[in-house]
Amino acid sequence: MALSNPGGSRKVCYYYDSDIGNNYYGQGHPMKPHRIRMTHNLLLNYGLYRKMEIYRPHKCNAEEMSRYHSDDYIKFLRSIRPDNMSEYTKQMQRFNVGEDCPVFDGLYEFCQLSGGGSIAGAVKINKHQTDIAINWAGGLHHAKKSEASGFCYVNDIVLAILELLKYHQRVLYIDIDIHHGDGVEEAFYTTDRVMTVSFHKYGEYFPGTGDLRDIGAGKGKYYALNFPLRDGMDDECYEQIFQPVITKVMEYYQPSAVVLQCGADSLGDRLGCFNLTVKGHAKCLEYVKKFNVPILMLGGGGYTIRNVARCWTYETAVALGQEIPNELPYNDYFEYFGPDFKLHISPSNMSNQNTMEYLQKIRQRLFENLRMLPHAPGVQMQDIPPDAVVSGSDDEAMDDPDKK
Amino acid sequence: MASSNMYRIGDYVYFENSPSNPYSIRRIEELNKTSSGNVEAKVICFYRRRDISNSLLLLADKHAKDMEEDMDEASTDLSENERHQLNHKELYLSRQLDSLPATYIRGKCSVTLLNETEDLKSYLNKSDTFFYSLVYDPAQKTLLADRGEIRVGCKYQAEIPPLINENGYDGKEDESREEMVWNPNNELSKQQVDQFMVISRSVGTFARALDCNSSIRQPALHVSAAAASRDITLFHTLTCLHKNKYNIADAISSLVPKTGPMLCKDEMEDWSPSEANLFEEALEKYGKDFLDIKQDFLPWKTIASIVEYYYMWKTSDRYVQQKKLKAAEAEGKLKQVYIPNYNKPNPNLIKPVNGESNGKACEGCFCTSSFQWYTWGPPNMGCRLCATCWMYWKKYGGLKMPPSSRLERMHNHKIKGTDKELRYRPPNSGVAIVATGGPHRAQRISHKTKQAFFLNATKLTRLARRLCNETFSIRHYSRRPFEAINIAAIKAECQVRLSSSPKVTTKFPQKKWPPLSVVVVRLLTLRPQLTHQSVKKSLSKIKTSVEVATNNNHHLLPSSGSLKRSHHNGIAGQKMGDNGSIYRVSNGPQKKKRCLNSTDASDDMLFVCTDRIRDIRKRIKSSDQRSAARKPTKFLINMPKFAMKPPPTKHINPEPIVIDD
Ligand SMILES: [Zn+2]
Repeated sequence: MALSNPGGSRKVCYYYDSDIGNNYYGQGHPMKPHRIRMTHNLLLNYGLYRKMEIYRPHKCNAEEMSRYHSDDYIKFLRSIRPDNMSEYTKQMQRFNVGEDCPVFDGLYEFCQLSGGGSIAGAVKINKHQTDIAINWAGGLHHAKKSEASGFCYVNDIVLAILELLKYHQRVLYIDIDIHHGDGVEEAFYTTDRVMTVSFHKYGEYFPGTGDLRDIGAGKGKYYALNFPLRDGMDDECYEQIFQPVITKVMEYYQPSAVVLQCGADSLGDRLGCFNLTVKGHAKCLEYVKKFNVPILMLGGGGYTIRNVARCWTYETAVALGQEIPNELPYNDYFEYFGPDFKLHISPSNMSNQNTMEYLQKIRQRLFENLRMLPHAPGVQMQDIPPDAVVSGSDDEAMDDPDKK
Repeated sequence: MASSNMYRIGDYVYFENSPSNPYSIRRIEELNKTSSGNVEAKVICFYRRRDISNSLLLLADKHAKDMEEDMDEASTDLSENERHQLNHKELYLSRQLDSLPATYIRGKCSVTLLNETEDLKSYLNKSDTFFYSLVYDPAQKTLLADRGEIRVGCKYQAEIPPLINENGYDGKEDESREEMVWNPNNELSKQQVDQFMVISRSVGTFARALDCNSSIRQPALHVSAAAASRDITLFHTLTCLHKNKYNIADAISSLVPKTGPMLCKDEMEDWSPSEANLFEEALEKYGKDFLDIKQDFLPWKTIASIVEYYYMWKTSDRYVQQKKLKAAEAEGKLKQVYIPNYNKPNPNLIKPVNGESNGKACEGCFCTSSFQWYTWGPPNMGCRLCATCWMYWKKYGGLKMPPSSRLERMHNHKIKGTDKELRYRPPNSGVAIVATGGPHRAQRISHKTKQAFFLNATKLTRLARRLCNETFSIRHYSRRPFEAINIAAIKAECQVRLSSSPKVTTKFPQKKWPPLSVVVVRLLTLRPQLTHQSVKKSLSKIKTSVEVATNNNHHLLPSSGSLKRSHHNGIAGQKMGDNGSIYRVSNGPQKKKRCLNSTDASDDMLFVCTDRIRDIRKRIKSSDQRSAARKPTKFLINMPKFAMKPPPTKHINPEPIVIDD
């Protein structure tokens, strides 16, 4: 698996279909697939495009979707169109399609592309043909087995993880979207072969799950980890919880593949209430990269589309280990990035309701749960890469009173 | 200073709806400028414990108990006092939206979802912090936990595939999942790729010169060159290189096929000016409903090309101009608003009288000196709060001390003789509140519930009532409960009368009081909203209240002699012992029950005497009146049926008037 030099550049495979951006959820709907095209055009003009293997994924088919989803739900998604909706009122209710998850022209193809890209990325990782696979059209973490939810219809993440599980004993899922990754957590709630870790706003917020006390069930007990957060999370606080938690998870769980959902609504966002910057968001990826485990990077939420494009462009650069200038290059959508036309964004002056005390207590509770894990179920102990343990992995990082 | 007066969307704030009531706690969802120039805040409402019914509080306490089981013991081991104050810090989230003038904002606070890792005490120590864990629906009168559920079962979980080979892919070729469009590991240098890019754009510019549509629309060469440099051409160029296996010569020839130089146009360039006009017109009419736009305006386009055009059109000058117009419209929507500190005096502020207490202590803390005093409770009660307790009341909707310790303090206070004021008054000394009947309660009056007490007449009292017509006019005193009664005089007269008319029987038939259960049931039928729980709470209070009555109300009683353990109390004790199941609350956690807040105590009843009732009273025989007074739930048998000005109706049935809090 020595494909790469640690810490620096990695081989990256990038999945994109130019049709994705032309999907439109409907008037006033905050989910805009167009943001994926904006990201793509920025990548091209930053010159990052030329540094990756670029793939157009094949559409995944109904059989592949049914590896997780129920047959009748997929059959419904295949048949429903804006012009025949009236014949499906009952099923629309049953499958929660209509309001948050509207029926739009090309819905099924959209799901096929999103799922196809994530599965293709997983296969690529299975084949040891890449260090990192990226599908910004994926990351639709709310979709359930027989139910659409939170702008998500087909859970491409679950499909990709199922693919990874064919060749990986343990897969770690990390979710830094502002919303709880409920769909993925639910799908793997009772297994120890997937550990789900989600950092999210909790309380009076969609989807309502993600309590600290939700830790998995049956064989999966202690293999779901939820970090509930309050409004105003900033870069510094995020780093101080993300790094120690991920370090401990890596140490205890020792996954052979990581799926990272990079929902960009945890930046200052139209629907969000966190205060991360592009740099703070990307630090999570930087940190996960250090462990030298193949990563499948997926999109997710993100409703201030210019910031989503900024974030995912920068994260693609981080994946590649490339530095890119703050000055945005000219591109078809340049005007969207005014008035400053810069890559990085500044945090807002919103107050952070997460006190150090609160974060530390939650972290402590999660560590207690992690201690319940047997070391790396199913496989013998094995040392974690040395560079993973170096920084910020100790409790002291947060307990240090001198640190603000 | 400035930043603390700057209110933003998402801030939790105190709103003042009425000068004497506690603040409302709200979260700002929107700030809108009205046409009159004022700022209106659209807010989410939070409720306090005092705002929800006793039966729901039971549920809330059960939930709190469950949650406390997950918490550290040190955090949940609270004194009565701490419990009492913690109740003031607990809120209930609602989905209810309200609109309020921003000028009613009185400061910021914080409301957080209670987490089981937290120390409950941390909420006691920090002012202006509140917590919630439940969502209240004011319409349905329900409480729900703000917590979703991960479902378990084969309908929800994925089927985990078996591990094929842990060492990775076994070499068996899968069907292809992808099509490669760019490979960075090619022989070309960066410079070579750049050069090919320029060639491709030049071909594109020349192709536009040849293309009639383009040359008409873009007569200037630099405009054509810019069009040929759009992203679609760049992507196509790279794909072209890949398809030709990074062989520049092959790639160049593919740029100029037999059909003519390659021309890549995106939707932005492809649409004619008339199509663009149609689109703008359609957008005006339908908004961004692209399905309708396609059907009615541009049926020859696909939805995808309309969407692509739309996002590119947004970068055009025409859109930027439109956006400026929209921005002017949206000016009404504010992101933040500056509200200066509110410093108008509250109307409840008592004008300083030498800055010192005029004998009355603070209802909350019993201090007698404060730099400011506020009237509190119904106006004729004359109660007041010191400045600290007033702020506490406004922010947290209660008094700092739990009722029991207040009682204690008050007791001590009394013995010291510093407070001449009678603290416990008959309930009907309160203000008359008009009952509206039905579920809509009368306007809330914010004052604490007064302790209940009752009078137990001794033999001497009973005798005196009958004998001492000179010194003791019952009618007179019953109307003037605060008038001092000269007990010595009554005793003297009584002695005289007794000896002069020995006929008067000193034997009184033992009253057959109904058992307490009957009384309770009657009260319940009168007050259906009273829960068993609150009845029980009230019962348990009788004991203390009677004792208080002994000490505080002696001059009310005709006899200062021994007031025996109350009849009611005796029965209550006995009955509760014998037949406690009647009152047992089946669903309420008794052990960890949070302490009753004064404002949560069961409601008092207050009877308002209208002119009509007075009129009727005059027509009722005094014996009937007496009997009615003693059996309030009984209908008058000898109701005067004659000469009633308005025809007799059922209204006579004295409907209890409810005062909340
Ligand atoms: Zn999200």
